Amino acid sequence: MRINPNPLPDLLAALGQTQQQINTDLQQISTGQSVNVPSDNPAAAAGLVQNAAQTSAADQFLRSIGSIQGEMQSADSTLNSVITALQRAITLGVEGANGTLSDSDRAAIANEVTGVRSQLINLANLSYQGNFVFAGTAIQTTPYVLDVTSPSGVRYAGNNLANTVTVGNHFSLQTNLPGSQLFTASGSDMFQALQDLLTNLQSGDSAGIGGAVAEVSNAYNYIDTARVFYGNAMNQLDSQQTYLNSETAQLAQQQNTLGGVDLPAAMTNLTTGQTSYQATLAAMGRVGQTNLFDYLK
Amino acid sequence: MSGLNASLATALSGLTAEQGALQATTNNVANVNTPGYSREVPDLVSSDPIVVDPLTLGTGVTLKSIDSIRDPILESRIQQETQTQGQSSALASALSQTQVNFTSGTGDIGTAISNFFNSVNQLSTSPADLSLRQGVLTAAGNLASSFNVAANNLTAQRSSLDGSVEQAVGQINQLTTQIAQLNGQIANLQNVGQSAGTFVDQRTQLIDQLSALVDVSVIPTDNTLTLTTANGTPLVAGHQSFQLSTQLDPSGTQHIFAQGSDITSALVSGQLGGLLQARDQQLPALQTQLDTLAAGLATAVNTVQTGGYDLNGNPTGATDSKGNPQTPVTFFKFDAPPATGAAASLSVAITDPAKIAASSDGTVGSNGNAEAMYGLSNRALIQGQSPTDYYSGLVFNLGNDAASANAEQSASSLVLQQLNDQRSSISGVSLDQEAANMVQYQNAYAASAQVITAINDMMYAAINMTTLTG
Repeated sequence: MRINPNPLPDLLAALGQTQQQINTDLQQISTGQSVNVPSDNPAAAAGLVQNAAQTSAADQFLRSIGSIQGEMQSADSTLNSVITALQRAITLGVEGANGTLSDSDRAAIANEVTGVRSQLINLANLSYQGNFVFAGTAIQTTPYVLDVTSPSGVRYAGNNLANTVTVGNHFSLQTNLPGSQLFTASGSDMFQALQDLLTNLQSGDSAGIGGAVAEVSNAYNYIDTARVFYGNAMNQLDSQQTYLNSETAQLAQQQNTLGGVDLPAAMTNLTTGQTSYQATLAAMGRVGQTNLFDYLK
Repeated sequence: MSGLNASLATALSGLTAEQGALQATTNNVANVNTPGYSREVPDLVSSDPIVVDPLTLGTGVTLKSIDSIRDPILESRIQQETQTQGQSSALASALSQTQVNFTSGTGDIGTAISNFFNSVNQLSTSPADLSLRQGVLTAAGNLASSFNVAANNLTAQRSSLDGSVEQAVGQINQLTTQIAQLNGQIANLQNVGQSAGTFVDQRTQLIDQLSALVDVSVIPTDNTLTLTTANGTPLVAGHQSFQLSTQLDPSGTQHIFAQGSDITSALVSGQLGGLLQARDQQLPALQTQLDTLAAGLATAVNTVQTGGYDLNGNPTGATDSKGNPQTPVTFFKFDAPPATGAAASLSVAITDPAKIAASSDGTVGSNGNAEAMYGLSNRALIQGQSPTDYYSGLVFNLGNDAASANAEQSASSLVLQQLNDQRSSISGVSLDQEAANMVQYQNAYAASAQVITAINDMMYAAINMTTLTG
């Protein structure tokens, strides 16, 4: 069979292919990505889209958790102060129930109870970043206001609604407890209890004072139980945060598996490509250097 | 006739024939780098003998013809493969441009979808916060513009492909005109029994170029050939060529006409086939998917948006707080199906961040509706898929199409290279071979010349012999 007398086009094509391989290797090494356009690996490119969406969602959940945590911590520590204030009210009530006290002593105690009530109203009207925390979803309405027409002397102007926020795939969490479920729940209304204590202190009815102290204790117990909601929620947020952090790490690893470049392999490919490129060039330099015409004299 | 004069004539035929043969070698050497040139070989035959009873005497050599060496079957394989190569490389180059719009990074649709839903999730943590509401509007604006950019790029690419189609048609017409002219010249030469090797080489070269542009079938006829497209539309018949023309259709794309009929959809191979495939199939399909995604997502967001309450507690649906009908406060504005162009026309309808319906009950702090909107990110909104799933499917399909076009292009490059190797091994000029031939012809020429010298001596001897006796 006759041999192709002109191998140059083949060598040129080989040179082109090697050059392209070198370019690909260089691009992969410089970007650190093996999937620079979808056609590099369609399945991995589609996987990377999913991976990016999941990573982005996880990062967002972490940011949302951060925002919620601030408000919850503030609510929790406020409830701590509420508990302390109620303890003080109970102590005052027990003092006031002592039959040996004079009217003026009881008046002084009543005065102090009024102070505790203002403090509690203040605490229940906690605002976080301009929004009332215990007003349900009526976050721009002051939830507790003094109102003489109300039997408890205090009126709740918030609502009974709560929000939930999604902080994970298929995981959402209630983020607030309305004041109506904390301070003024029916049967354990702390303002009603304080009002009763005040009324009885003013009238000097020892038995009535004792009953009112029991009411305040009841409210105290109720709030102490209810505030576990915030503790639980914060625990859940903490563990969700831990989970999301490890998920983010896993996603990053998956992203690297899908689209990251195997640097040693790419470097080896590049070196091989360059060697083969030079070899092809050297070969081309020798093509057709001599033929029979050179030897005819 | 026999005798010295006859021998002289025989020797002369040798001189002439070797000169002619050397001419073929010279031409081969001169054309060693001419693309498409097929090497020529002299066809030497011995002249008819004469019978001088009882002898039969040879009368020397004749250079019957100089033939070009080529394999017509191989040529037609090369033309077919050139068509595939033209088609796949046009498609591959179109799709690789398209891909850039769907490469992950900042500003791609996938990232924009994520960012939009992220901003809604953030709003959900503090639904009355105006800066978070503004953040949602900004993210929505970016989402809309990422759709706009991708859709507009596809449109721009289609119109640039349209320009290439027009250009390719122009080149085809030029080539068919030239081929028809060559057909005429070849027929003229062959009708008078001459070899038309050089013209045939040129024509083969032009048909190769034509094959790279369009699907050509070559039908050889007596002394000439007919070229048609794969569906039988004639391009060249003998010395006559038939021009293709382009015409804009109502949608503004070029259609290709041959003798009054639209043959656009019949062209499937060659560069033109690849361009048309990208312009009329791949890119429109992608545009449809983008529109479906944009419309599906925007419709779902609008549905949630118009089912809640804005920051001021006003309902955003079709009835206002007093129960009177009102224009719903939609989130996105777009050309809804059945109109096309949802992706290109997508924009945010709200400018006032307070109008975002985050509340589900009219209270200012409610985030119920924002949560519902965020929930859309995982819902099967578009053909049973979530927005991200649908988009990643789109990326996969595009990547797959581009990867197969690339693979097809490399494969057909390799095949074409091998076929060209084969052609070169049959028709290519080898300088070694030409040098050897030259030596051979030179030697034969020298030998014939020596014979003439010898005959001359003999003649001289014969003439002198007469003088001596006379």
